[in-house]
Amino acid sequence: MSKGFNWAMRICLWIVLLFMYIPIIAIIGMSFNKTSYGMFPYVFTTQWYRVLATTSNLPAACWLSIKFSALVAVAALIIGTMTSFGLQYFSPKMAKRFNFVMQLPIIIPWLVTSISILLLFTFMGSGRSYPVMFLGNLIVVLPYVVMLVNNRFVEMDRTPEAAARLLGAGPMRVFCDVTLPGIMPGILAGGMMALIVCFNNFVLQYYLSPVAVDTLPVTVFTRIKSGYQADLNALSAIIILIAVIIVVIMTRLGYSGGSLFGMSSGSGKQKGD
Amino acid sequence: MKKKKKIQPNSLWALPSAGLLLLLTIAPLAMLLLFSFMNRNMFAGQPWPGWTMGNITRMMASGTFWDLLLRSLRTGLIVTVICIAAAYPAAWAMAKVVPEKRRGMCMILVILPFFTSQLLLIYAMMNLIQTGGLLMTALNAIGIPAKSFLYTNAATVLVLVYEYLPYMILCLYSSIEGIGDNLIHASLILGANKVRTFTHIVFPMSAPGLLSGILLVFVPVVGSFVEPGLVGGSNGMMVGSLINSQYKDNLNMGYGAVLSCVLLIVLCVIMAIISFATKKAQQSIGGDV
Repeated sequence: MSKGFNWAMRICLWIVLLFMYIPIIAIIGMSFNKTSYGMFPYVFTTQWYRVLATTSNLPAACWLSIKFSALVAVAALIIGTMTSFGLQYFSPKMAKRFNFVMQLPIIIPWLVTSISILLLFTFMGSGRSYPVMFLGNLIVVLPYVVMLVNNRFVEMDRTPEAAARLLGAGPMRVFCDVTLPGIMPGILAGGMMALIVCFNNFVLQYYLSPVAVDTLPVTVFTRIKSGYQADLNALSAIIILIAVIIVVIMTRLGYSGGSLFGMSSGSGKQKGD
Repeated sequence: MKKKKKIQPNSLWALPSAGLLLLLTIAPLAMLLLFSFMNRNMFAGQPWPGWTMGNITRMMASGTFWDLLLRSLRTGLIVTVICIAAAYPAAWAMAKVVPEKRRGMCMILVILPFFTSQLLLIYAMMNLIQTGGLLMTALNAIGIPAKSFLYTNAATVLVLVYEYLPYMILCLYSSIEGIGDNLIHASLILGANKVRTFTHIVFPMSAPGLLSGILLVFVPVVGSFVEPGLVGGSNGMMVGSLINSQYKDNLNMGYGAVLSCVLLIVLCVIMAIISFATKKAQQSIGGDV
C-alpha cells in the first residue's frame, strides 16, 4: 500500500480513538470540578470523592452489583464449562443446532428477553425477585462462556486426554489434570466476560430486580434521569481506572479483544502473511 | 422414529444448560406469544384473564407503533452505516498499518469501553455535549455560536454510535487480520486499483466479520430504549421506548407482548435478508473464498 493511503488509514484510527476517549477523559477531568453538572468555570476540588466515600448511595449499589455479578459469573462458568465439554461429544449437526439456540439470548434484544422472562415468571406467580434476576442474567452471559471455552476445545490437542486414559487415569482425573488446564484460558476469559456483561447489564436488572433493590446500572440510570450529582463523575473515573487495570492485566495474560468475542484465535496466531 | 446414533454419555454434561435454555429462552418466547392474546394484565395471584384479539387489532391500527418502528429501523440503519464507515479504516489501520508492537495497545484502547458501564458511557457523552459542557464551551471560545444538540435525535445517534462502534471495529479487525498481505500485494501488482482490491478481496474476505458486526450493532440499536429516553428528548421515542412504557408506565402487558413479537419478527426478517445478501455479494464478487 502506498504511504499516503496508510497515513489516511492511520489518521482515521486516531480520529476514532479520539472520539472514543474525549468523553471519558472529560468525565475524569470533571470529577475534580466544583460545579456538579460538569460545567464551567473549572474549579479544582476533590469534594466529590469525599461525597462518594461518605454520603453517596453509589458505593452500596456498586458493591451489590459486584457480589451479584460474581455469583452469576461463577454459575455461568460451571454450567458453561460443563456445556462446552458435553458439546464436544455431540454430532456436528446437533452441535450446530445447539449452538444456534445458545446464541439466541445474545441475538434477541435484551429488552425483549427481559420482558419475556418477566412474563414467564409473572405467569408462574413469582414476578421480580433475586432468583429471577439471577436466572435472567445467567442466560445472557452463558453463551459467552460456552463460546470462549468451546474455542479452546477446538484449538486444543485432545490426544493427551486419550493417552492419560490409556495409561489408566480415571475420567475425573483426566478431566482435572489434563482437560481443565488445557481449557483454562477459555474459562478465565469467559469468566471475565460474564462478570463484565452482568455487571453492566442495565436492561435485565431494570426489569427483573426485586422492587426497591437497585443495582449499580439501575442507580446510575435513576441518577441521570433525576438530575445527577458529580459523585457520579467520581465513580465513573474510578470505574474507568479499574477497567484500565483489568484490561491491561488481561492483555498481559494474552487475551486480545478478538478472543473476547470468540472471533479470532488470539493475537498469537496469525493467518496468511 | 429412528435412532440416528448412540448418544455419548459425555454429551449429557450439556443437559443443565439445555434445561436453562428451555426455561429461559424458549419458554419465555412462548409466553410472549401467549400474552399477546391475553385480555388484561396478569399479576401473581390474579385469575386467568381470558383471550382476545384486541391487542393485535390495536397494534395494526396504531399509527404510533408503525411510525416508531420505522424510525427505529432508520436509526439502526444510520448508526450501522456510520459504524461501518468509521470502523473499516480504523480496523484496517489496526490490522495492517500499525506496527505489530503497538497493535496490542490499540486493542486495549478499543476494548476498554466494554469494561466500563454502558450507562457511564452515555453519561460521559451527555456531560460532554450538554449546554455549558466541554464541547459547547470550547466551540463558543473559538467563536462558533453553537447550541447544544443534547435531547435531539442527533444526540441519540451520536450516543449509539459511541456505544456500538467498538463492536464493529473488533469484528472487522478480526476478519481483516486474517487477510494475507501477499494477497493484497498480488492484487495491486497485477493492476487492480484500490477500489477493485477492496471490492474483490477485502470486502469478500471480511464479510463474515462485517456480518457479525452488523448483527451486534443493528439489532441492539433498533431495540434500544435507554438512549432515546435519556438523550433523545421528547421527540426521540423509538419502538423500544413504546414497548418499555407498556411495562413501566401503562402496565399493559398484552399489548407490550404483541409489540415485542412484531419487533422480533421484523428484526429476524431483516437479519435474514442481510445475511443472504452478504453471502450473495461474497459469492458473486469474490467467487468461492
